[in-house]
Amino acid sequence: MTARRLRAAVILAISAVFLLAWAFPIIWSVLNSFKTDSDVLAYPPKLIFSPTLGAYREVLFGSGSILPNLVSSMIISVGTTIVTMLMAIPAAYALARLRFHGKKFAGFYVLTTQMLPPVGIIIPYFLVLQTIGWIDTYQGIILIYLSFSLPFAIWLLVSYFEDIPLEMEEAAYLDGASRLRTLWRIIIPQVRGGIAVTVVFVFLNAWNEFLFAVVLSGNTVRPVTVAMFNFVSVEQTLWAKLAAVSVLAMLPVVVLGVVAQKQIVKGLTIGAVKGGGRR
Amino acid sequence: MAASALASAETGNPGAGDFGHALAQRERRFAAALLAPAFLALLATTTFPLIFLVWTSTYRMNLAMPFMNGFVGFENYRMLLIDERFWSSLLISLVYTGTTVALQVAIGLALALLVMDMKRGQGWFRLIAILPVVLSPAVVGMIWRTFMLAPDFGIVDFLAINAGLGSQNWLGDPTLAMVSVIAIHTWQWTPFAFMVLLASLASLPEDIYEAARLDRATAWQRFRRITLPLLRPAIVMVVIMRTMVALTAFAAIFTVTGGGPGTATEILNLYAYRKSFIELSIGYGAALAVALLIVTIVISGVLFALRRAK
Repeated sequence: MTARRLRAAVILAISAVFLLAWAFPIIWSVLNSFKTDSDVLAYPPKLIFSPTLGAYREVLFGSGSILPNLVSSMIISVGTTIVTMLMAIPAAYALARLRFHGKKFAGFYVLTTQMLPPVGIIIPYFLVLQTIGWIDTYQGIILIYLSFSLPFAIWLLVSYFEDIPLEMEEAAYLDGASRLRTLWRIIIPQVRGGIAVTVVFVFLNAWNEFLFAVVLSGNTVRPVTVAMFNFVSVEQTLWAKLAAVSVLAMLPVVVLGVVAQKQIVKGLTIGAVKGGGRR
Repeated sequence: MAASALASAETGNPGAGDFGHALAQRERRFAAALLAPAFLALLATTTFPLIFLVWTSTYRMNLAMPFMNGFVGFENYRMLLIDERFWSSLLISLVYTGTTVALQVAIGLALALLVMDMKRGQGWFRLIAILPVVLSPAVVGMIWRTFMLAPDFGIVDFLAINAGLGSQNWLGDPTLAMVSVIAIHTWQWTPFAFMVLLASLASLPEDIYEAARLDRATAWQRFRRITLPLLRPAIVMVVIMRTMVALTAFAAIFTVTGGGPGTATEILNLYAYRKSFIELSIGYGAALAVALLIVTIVISGVLFALRRAK
C-alpha cells in the first residue's frame, strides 16, 4: 500500500515539474507585462509587485504603437485562411471522392510540395515580388503563405472527406441533384467539423509565420512577430513593453488553442497518421 | 450567382447509351475544375520557385554588386564544397535536428505513458500542453532570450545561481548557446509529441494488455513487447514530422541568437538566409538552399524507408 502511495507521489511530482516547465515562461511573460521596467529587472525576480497597465498603454497607444501591426497580422491570417479554404475544400473533395486519371500522382504532388524548405521558396519569390512591386503588400505575403497552408489544408481535409458515407452522395445523385449542388448542400455540411479544425490550423500557422514575413514586410505590412524587434536592440531592451507585446502576440493563438483544444489534438493526430503537416 | 450558373451547367443526368463512359468523363471534368485553383496556386508558390531557385543557383547574383552578375554554371556549388562555414552549418543542423527530435520523442513518450496511467489530472496536461504548440516560434524565442535566459534576473540564470552553478552567459558562450537553442526547441515541441503519442496510446486495444496481465508479463515486458511495437508507426511519423520542421527551423534561432555567437548556432537554413538577405549574395544563397533541399530529401528518404521496413 505504501509503495503504491509513494509511486503516486512520484508521479505527481514529475507531472507538476513538467506542467510548471511548460506553463511558466508564458505565465512569467504575462506577469512581466504588468510590471515596470525596474520590477522586471529586479533581483531576485519579483513574484509580488504592484501591477500596472503602463506597458500596455505605451505599446498600444504611445508613439510607435503596435496596433497597426496587430491589424496587419489579423489581415494576413484571415486573408490566408479564406483563400486557402476556398481552394483547399474543392481540391480535397476531388482527391478524396472523385475518380480521374493521375489521382495518385496529384496526391503525391501535394505531399512533396511540403518538402521544400521555406528558405528555398523565399529566395526566388523575393526576386519575383521585387520585380512586380509586391514587397510590403498583403497580396504578396498571402500568396506565398499558400505554399505551406494549401498542402496542409488539403491533406487534413481529405481525411475528413474520406470519412463521409458514400450512400448520402449517391442518394443525392439519384434525386437528380448536380454534382456541385451535392457538394455544397450534402457533403460540405458533413465535414463542418473538419473544416473548423483546418481553419484553426491555417490561421495559427499564418499568425505564427516568421521567415517570409521578415523578408517581405516593410512599413505598410509588418506583422506583430516582426514588429516585436522594435523593443530589443543592441543598445537597450524595453523590458516591460516587450513583455506586453509578446502577450498581445500570444493572446489570439492561446485563446484559439484553449477553445479549440480538442480539435487541435485531433488535427495533430490525423496529421501524424496521414503524414501531413509542416510546422 | 456564379455557383448557381455553374450548377445549372451541370444539371441533367446523362441519357441512355454510353451511360458509364459519359458519367466517367463528366466526373473527370468536374474533378479537374475542382482541383485547378489549388494546383495552379501550388505550382505558382512551390514548383515554380523550385525551378527558379535552381536556375538562380547557377548565377552569380549579388544585390550589392550587380555589375558582377552573370551565369556561372556550377561555380556556386564548387565554392560550397570548399566552404567551411557550409560544412559547419550542416553539422550544426544535424546536431540540432538529431538532439531536438530525440529529446522530444523520448520525453514525450515517457510523459504520455505516465499520464496514461493517471486517473485524475489528465485534463491539466492536455490543457497546458497545447500552449507552447500554438505559439509563434518567434515569440517563444523572444521570451526565452529575455525573461528566461538574461543574466541574473532571467529565471534560468536565477535558478542556476541558486543551484550553485553561478551566473552563465547562456547565449554568449558557443556551447551554452547551442544547448539553449536546443532546449528552447525541445520545450516548444515536446508537447506535440506528447499529445500525438498520448492519443495513439489511448487507441491501443485494451484486451492485449489483459491477456499479458494474465500471462504475468512485467510492466517492462508489456512496454517492450506490446506498447512499443504497436506505437511504432506513430513514433516514426512523429520523428518524420519533427525532423522536417527542425531541419528548417528559423524563427526560434533567429530571434534568440541570430545564429551566433559567431556562427555557433547557425544552422544551414539560417546560413542560406543570412547569405541571401544580409550579405545579399543571392546566387550562393540559392545554392545553399538547394543543398538544404537535398539534405531534406535524403533524410526523409531514409526515414520513410525505415517506416516501411519491419
